[in-house]
Amino acid sequence: MSGQVYPKDTKVLPGLQLEKVDDRIMTLNVGPQHPGSGHMRIIIKVDGDYIVHCDPDPGYVHRGEEKMAEYRNYITNIPHLERPVIHDSCNILYPYCLGVEELLGIEVSERAKYIRVIAAELNRCVYIQYWLAIYGIFLGHSTMFMWPVGDRELMIDLLDKMTGARVTHAYFVPGGVRNDIPANFEDMCLRQVNYFEKRLKEYADVFYDNPILISRTKDTGVLSREDAIKLGTTGSVLRASGVDFDIRKKEPYDVYEELDFQTNVLKEGDSYARSKIPWLDMLESCRIIRDALQKMPKSGSVRVKLKPKPKAGDTEVYRRVESGRGSLGMHIVSRNNPQPYRLKISVPSFRNLIAMPHLLTGEKLGNLPPVYWSLNYWPVEADR
Amino acid sequence: MSSTDSTEIEKSDDSSLVSDSDKSLSDAISKKFSNVEIAYVKPDRIRVNVKREEIIDVASFIRDELNFDHAESVSGVDYPEDKQIEVVYHLGSYTNKSLEKKILALATRTPREDNPNPGNDSTKLPSLRDVFPSVSFHERECFEMLGVYFDGNPDNRRLLLPEDWADIPPLRKDFAIKGR
Amino acid sequence: MSVIAPKFRLGYLIKGLTDNIFWIIVILTLVGLPVVQIVLIYIDFPIIDGEIWNPFRVLDAITHPERALPLVKSFMQTDFFKVAAFPGFGFAALIAAATIFVERKLLAKLQLRVGPFYCGKVEGILQLMADGLKLISKEIIIPAKADKPLFWAAPVLFAATAGAFVALIPVAPGWVVADIDLGLLAVFAVIGFFPIITIVSAWSANSKFPFIGGIRALYQMVSFEIPLILSLLGIVMLTGTLNLMEIVESQASFPWIIFMPIGAIVFFICILAELERIPFDLPEAESEIVAGWLTEFSGMMYGLVQLGSYLKLYAFAALFVVLFLGGWNGPWFYPMEPIAEVITDGVVLMPGALTLEIEGGLLFSQEMINGLIWFVLKTVGVILVILIPRGVFPRIRIDLLLQIGWYKLIVLAFINIFIALALVYSGIIGPGGIL
Repeated sequence: MSGQVYPKDTKVLPGLQLEKVDDRIMTLNVGPQHPGSGHMRIIIKVDGDYIVHCDPDPGYVHRGEEKMAEYRNYITNIPHLERPVIHDSCNILYPYCLGVEELLGIEVSERAKYIRVIAAELNRCVYIQYWLAIYGIFLGHSTMFMWPVGDRELMIDLLDKMTGARVTHAYFVPGGVRNDIPANFEDMCLRQVNYFEKRLKEYADVFYDNPILISRTKDTGVLSREDAIKLGTTGSVLRASGVDFDIRKKEPYDVYEELDFQTNVLKEGDSYARSKIPWLDMLESCRIIRDALQKMPKSGSVRVKLKPKPKAGDTEVYRRVESGRGSLGMHIVSRNNPQPYRLKISVPSFRNLIAMPHLLTGEKLGNLPPVYWSLNYWPVEADR
Repeated sequence: MSSTDSTEIEKSDDSSLVSDSDKSLSDAISKKFSNVEIAYVKPDRIRVNVKREEIIDVASFIRDELNFDHAESVSGVDYPEDKQIEVVYHLGSYTNKSLEKKILALATRTPREDNPNPGNDSTKLPSLRDVFPSVSFHERECFEMLGVYFDGNPDNRRLLLPEDWADIPPLRKDFAIKGR
Repeated sequence: MSVIAPKFRLGYLIKGLTDNIFWIIVILTLVGLPVVQIVLIYIDFPIIDGEIWNPFRVLDAITHPERALPLVKSFMQTDFFKVAAFPGFGFAALIAAATIFVERKLLAKLQLRVGPFYCGKVEGILQLMADGLKLISKEIIIPAKADKPLFWAAPVLFAATAGAFVALIPVAPGWVVADIDLGLLAVFAVIGFFPIITIVSAWSANSKFPFIGGIRALYQMVSFEIPLILSLLGIVMLTGTLNLMEIVESQASFPWIIFMPIGAIVFFICILAELERIPFDLPEAESEIVAGWLTEFSGMMYGLVQLGSYLKLYAFAALFVVLFLGGWNGPWFYPMEPIAEVITDGVVLMPGALTLEIEGGLLFSQEMINGLIWFVLKTVGVILVILIPRGVFPRIRIDLLLQIGWYKLIVLAFINIFIALALVYSGIIGPGGIL
């Protein structure tokens, strides 16, 4: 590594600040080794039971995906790009594939588009189930931890049949998908999705209609519509605050405009609404999958073969999709090389992180887990 | 530094796909600001290159007159051969129905120094935090990853990198990954 | 190649064994036997049937059950047995251990899992033992800045206080460790120790999360103790006594829950809060404050606190049974008299070898066995009802909890008191009432 080493005065490190100890205000490090933090640290200051200051400190799982992408060509970038969010790996590869296809001028076959949509929706369910499980255990509801983790296996099984891997699929490639789906997949998918939908409706009885849950999460961490827009939040956080914005509807990619589904919007903007939106999204996903299975062409090619190490011209592209957490965009700058010159991943978790200090300041300490996790935040994805 | 002579991005050819609304957006910007360069107008994607002195004016104009209300991403791109670092703000709109699918890329450039001293050298840009509050964390990331100091952002601390990181900003092109 | 004992020689092994045997004999003769003699001098031997027992008779009694039975019966009347084994600690710990196992299996079934499965072949029945062994073998870590004596004392105090609570519970006619006239008052006094122990341990750990957890526990326990005490006042008015045995005997025809359902509900909610169980497990809220006041405990210190809290769970459930569900009262289903052949012919323990002739059953009276079975059944039922919310409810927030305690439960407890007063003054039940 070249270049000048900084800072010159190593005693004063940027980011480290020593503070005067206050008698009344207590500083708590929630994380990185805290059962309620995930792979991040939230430095909070509490005055009694109230959080008076909140400073999220991500970066504990920063892996330099963007730097790595600059050293690998467009195809070999695929497996490592899905690492930031392996539970939603199809959706994080989606904008990349769309962008590279736009750069290289590839048209994907109709069947591949439908398979992509099905895989992306299955993966969205897998992610949201995992998220819901952690939301449940953060609230002390252990049944809501076990049920989603168990029912998630249905979707993982389907993806396993489809792609050959349980979580890290690396299924999407520029030009389509890696392999065709197995012969009896459609019946099996329909059966499991129907059962999954039946199970999802049982969650309402045990979790979403639970009086203690409602009394605890209603009117906590309220994000107004104006703030949600101003802070640039996305996905379930935005839609829970009453903004009707879903990339699948607003900027349809692949075959989403031909499918029958609706956008879930709630007006309250509290952590209950934010936790309910992903659940409604899963029900919509089931509809999308059923619709796509029906409309999918029964045969055809699924992949346009690229020549090895394809080069794109001097251009740039910004593509975004609706992932399990919200709008996931990729800005790919190409300079006539087999590798991208710069790949910026704009992840929804990072964008929603801005809302965290805004929401947590002034809340009670007991509201930290529901408000924090209702942001649909995935630390590994935010760090990239 | 000038944003006009250094752009590598060619103008788009497929002007047939570009709708009138995209055209009218770019026309509105170029009519208001004379030395702003419209890099390309593609379907739903517009890129505007501005000088760093007038980025706040252009951004305020885009927010107030064109109804773009949030930033989707802030990506910094290093161009060592130009001795410049480019920062691209991808702006979107939630409130305006006709703009929901459009992304306006607002790009600006700042001089780059071979021996960076982040925060204390000439690699500085005015912060857009007061115009778009959504850029605050993105700018923090851009500062640590490329060493671009944003004047006016009150929070220019580290975000993702460790506190004791003592090397050049890692997303610069002269920071090489070992073994590659 | 590695071998277990590289320098093994048979001679060394034999020499070592002989040495050990030699020293064991020497120490036994020079130290063990004199100690036994001295102890025997000072021990008062029981007088059974007018005869003083001595060690030789004890050794003699072991050989035949018929001779051993009077000794065992007299031993069972000693305070030591009562405290350590039957109505006291051992019995409670057994029920507590069964509770932990049932809790895990029940929760697993609720959550579509199997729960403990492998340890002990049959449905993981030995899982608790394995967990206990693991806890014992773990290192005990004490924070560097902790107040060490207090920090060490807290788990022991907690378990001991829970044991004291257990001692006040009557489980069967005549079977209680401490039969005192002010039994209910003693229960309140013992409950009052728990917040103090909690705050002491939280303070002595000198760490932030235990401190917050301790404060929360203090708030929670103090605010729920008031409705807990008030909800029991009605029973005291109706029975006119504080003695738990007499309270149970007063429910021979009907349990008090029929007349005081409100008091029972208030008391049950207060039990959940006092036990720090979901939905009121705020002092140990994992996602907020790590493990609350238990954060810094490790190894067997944590195990002791867990033991104490499960003893407490048993004690509260048993208290609920004693006060509201009629204790050991219940229809007879065990034969009221010992079977006639037992009295006349005795019990044949080993056919052809031993015949015992015992009057009045083997060890316990028929009444006691019938009562005990009812008591255990009721207690287990109450424990199950206490356990089920864990699979159904999320955790509540501290301000909602305090609001429930101060605004709702206290009001309900007063309503219950007025109901009791109305019953007493209208002369329906209570001292000198119709029923």
